Amino acid sequence: MHRRMRDWARLRTRLRTRPWMYIALRLTSPLAFAPLALLCGCNSPGYPPPPAKTPGEITSFATLYAQNCDSCHGSNGQDGPALDLANPEYLALADDATLRKFTAEGVTGTEMPAFATSAGGMLTDAQIDALVTGMRKAWSKPNAFVGAVPPPYAQAKAGDPRHGEQTYQTRCAGCHKNSPDEEITSPVYLALVSDQGLRTVIIAGRPDIGQPDWRHDAPGGKLTTPLSASDVEDVVAYLASLRTPTLPGRVQAQTSAKIPNQRTASKKRSQTLSASAAVRGAK
Amino acid sequence: MPRITRSQRMYDWFERRLQIEGPIKDAALHQVPRETASWWYVFGSGAFTLFLFQVVTGILLAIIYVPSAGEAWNSLNVLNHQIPLGWYLRALHGWGSNFMVAIVFIHMTQVFLFGAYKFPRELTWIFGVFLLILTLGMAFTGQVLRFDQDAYWGLGIGISMVSRVPVIGGGLVHLLLGGPIMAGTTLARFFDLHVFVIPGLLFGFAGLHIWMVLKLGINEWPMPGRLVRRATYVEEYNRLAHEDGIPFIPGAFWKDLVFSAAMVAAVAVCAWIFGPSGPGGPPDPAIIQTNPKPDFPFLWIFSILAYLPPALETPVILVAPVLAILALFAVPLVAGEGEKSWRRRPVAVLAVAFIAVAWGEFTQLGTTTPWSPHMDAWSSDSIPVRYLRTATPLARQGANVFQEKQCRNCHSIGGLGGQRGPALDSVATRMTRDQLRFKVVTGGGNMPAFGKNLSAPEIEALVAFLSTLHPANEAPAYTPSRPYVTNSPP
Repeated sequence: MHRRMRDWARLRTRLRTRPWMYIALRLTSPLAFAPLALLCGCNSPGYPPPPAKTPGEITSFATLYAQNCDSCHGSNGQDGPALDLANPEYLALADDATLRKFTAEGVTGTEMPAFATSAGGMLTDAQIDALVTGMRKAWSKPNAFVGAVPPPYAQAKAGDPRHGEQTYQTRCAGCHKNSPDEEITSPVYLALVSDQGLRTVIIAGRPDIGQPDWRHDAPGGKLTTPLSASDVEDVVAYLASLRTPTLPGRVQAQTSAKIPNQRTASKKRSQTLSASAAVRGAK
Repeated sequence: MPRITRSQRMYDWFERRLQIEGPIKDAALHQVPRETASWWYVFGSGAFTLFLFQVVTGILLAIIYVPSAGEAWNSLNVLNHQIPLGWYLRALHGWGSNFMVAIVFIHMTQVFLFGAYKFPRELTWIFGVFLLILTLGMAFTGQVLRFDQDAYWGLGIGISMVSRVPVIGGGLVHLLLGGPIMAGTTLARFFDLHVFVIPGLLFGFAGLHIWMVLKLGINEWPMPGRLVRRATYVEEYNRLAHEDGIPFIPGAFWKDLVFSAAMVAAVAVCAWIFGPSGPGGPPDPAIIQTNPKPDFPFLWIFSILAYLPPALETPVILVAPVLAILALFAVPLVAGEGEKSWRRRPVAVLAVAFIAVAWGEFTQLGTTTPWSPHMDAWSSDSIPVRYLRTATPLARQGANVFQEKQCRNCHSIGGLGGQRGPALDSVATRMTRDQLRFKVVTGGGNMPAFGKNLSAPEIEALVAFLSTLHPANEAPAYTPSRPYVTNSPP
């Protein structure tokens, strides 16, 4: 015990005989408040983001587009597998009601799904409006057609497939001459696109992948006599005539009443598409 | 005769009644073995300092926080955005919790490897196990009080585990939730646990734990070959502490102080840089667009539960924790004597290494959740532009099918998408068109059959797209014999 008392005394003396320790403490103690000042004064990296919204409350176009459209229509509305929404000619051709309808209800027979809650999707009407106005704001350009008047967005009358085939041969086939499976006249491809989709691309083009618009629809995409409204109708009618009824576009598009027909059709389909070869190949 | 000052008189007045100078001096100046004043022996005091830090920040948080299911989420956002430095207070408490859990585990590992649980410190270890369980209890109840989507579903999982307890499971759930479902009174119960019950027990157990450390002395530095024997240990320790010892203060204590201060500073810096955790989305079970995850101390449980086959769920959930805790209690009782140095305890070292690696692996899996499909990948992860540059019209339609049919939710491309199935960036080098078609139609392994959900053109388009997925310098797989048996290309 005696020894411990001595240690204690030594400790106290040591602290008392070193005044520089107190001076140092006195000088540095204000520094303890420096972080506090820093916190109040600056934007610290850890400051939390605004409160999270429920998914239905999001109305930012960038967020909605990135969450719902990006995957098929491409980041920034281009370079995706589906139609480039950032094409000013397309946005000038289609009106708001059309954009809203397709976003809300999808396009029957194609891979474009319905997004509105009323049609089984996850987006509210306000969010669909935000997408439509957002697309316009981000990508529309004034005077997109530089004074030219394109054929109307919607088809006016049924086209003539025979004349359409001639037009196709002179105006389209120069570029669209891939292998039989892959050209756009393949019934497999045509089963997956709508007539309106074909018409839209013929008129407005797809600048992101080099498909020219109706004024440049010619071998090499050169400026030429623009396709007339009836030319466009005829080409679409020609392509539509190449669809085969045995190749339905989407399973969902059929009603249950048609299932027996589908079975008989599937026999033919397996011959056409060599589904049996698939089984062979896998063996 | 020395002059007696007024403050000296006041001190004496109190000391005469309290009589506390003696015990404090004893505690402060008791001799510890010189080697014990080591940087390896600072974790226990570090954990206790962080506990006190949590108490202080917790008291401040409780001023604003409203423990009701309807108000909690809003009050957290008020703290984050409307109270000056409220966000920083939340960040301090959250990071304090992370550090406390981590240091408790480090402390336990160090004590285990240094053989400090051996005679006569068995009970110190057993109380330490209680402290570990209580610390994890604090972490879990704290996660529940941060009442967001993670908290809501984390509580849901915890409660469904409790409900599996035979006979009393239902009653326990009722007791914890304040009813059969998570509702208004649920948070009050967890607030009670987090603020009164568990901290009270923590104080009690920590007090006894520290009392025993003072009474029994800090563990000496383990020397290989210096064995613990019940008959001789106490005498040996006292000799070591007095012949080659130093007083606890300042000899060892200054390192504890420096480490504790460094931990508090690290918490302050982490809180400033990384900010508070959440709250995430509102805790509304009607919101299905959510991907809840537990906080890091429980990520490993999350992974294990995800990988368990259904038949093993109840045994693992109910029996394994009991066995694990019993094993921890048994450690000092089974191995209370003998070698302390980890250099001569290969089984102990291997056990720690195995647990650490398994824990790290499960935690890593818990952060990436490869078992879980990314439910929004189909509409949000774009196809890399380079995969579409030379795509034919049909392959483009196939890419649309790939997205719209939600293949992407389980299969990644370009590093984005689910990880449940294999990445498909070079699938065409592994499978021919026919094999791809067959796989899509019939499924197999983990993959469902899509034959009835896809039309023939959709399958063809999808296969056309998938067969373009190969590196530029590596040709796609093909069937060499095919041109000879059919007229179609390979």
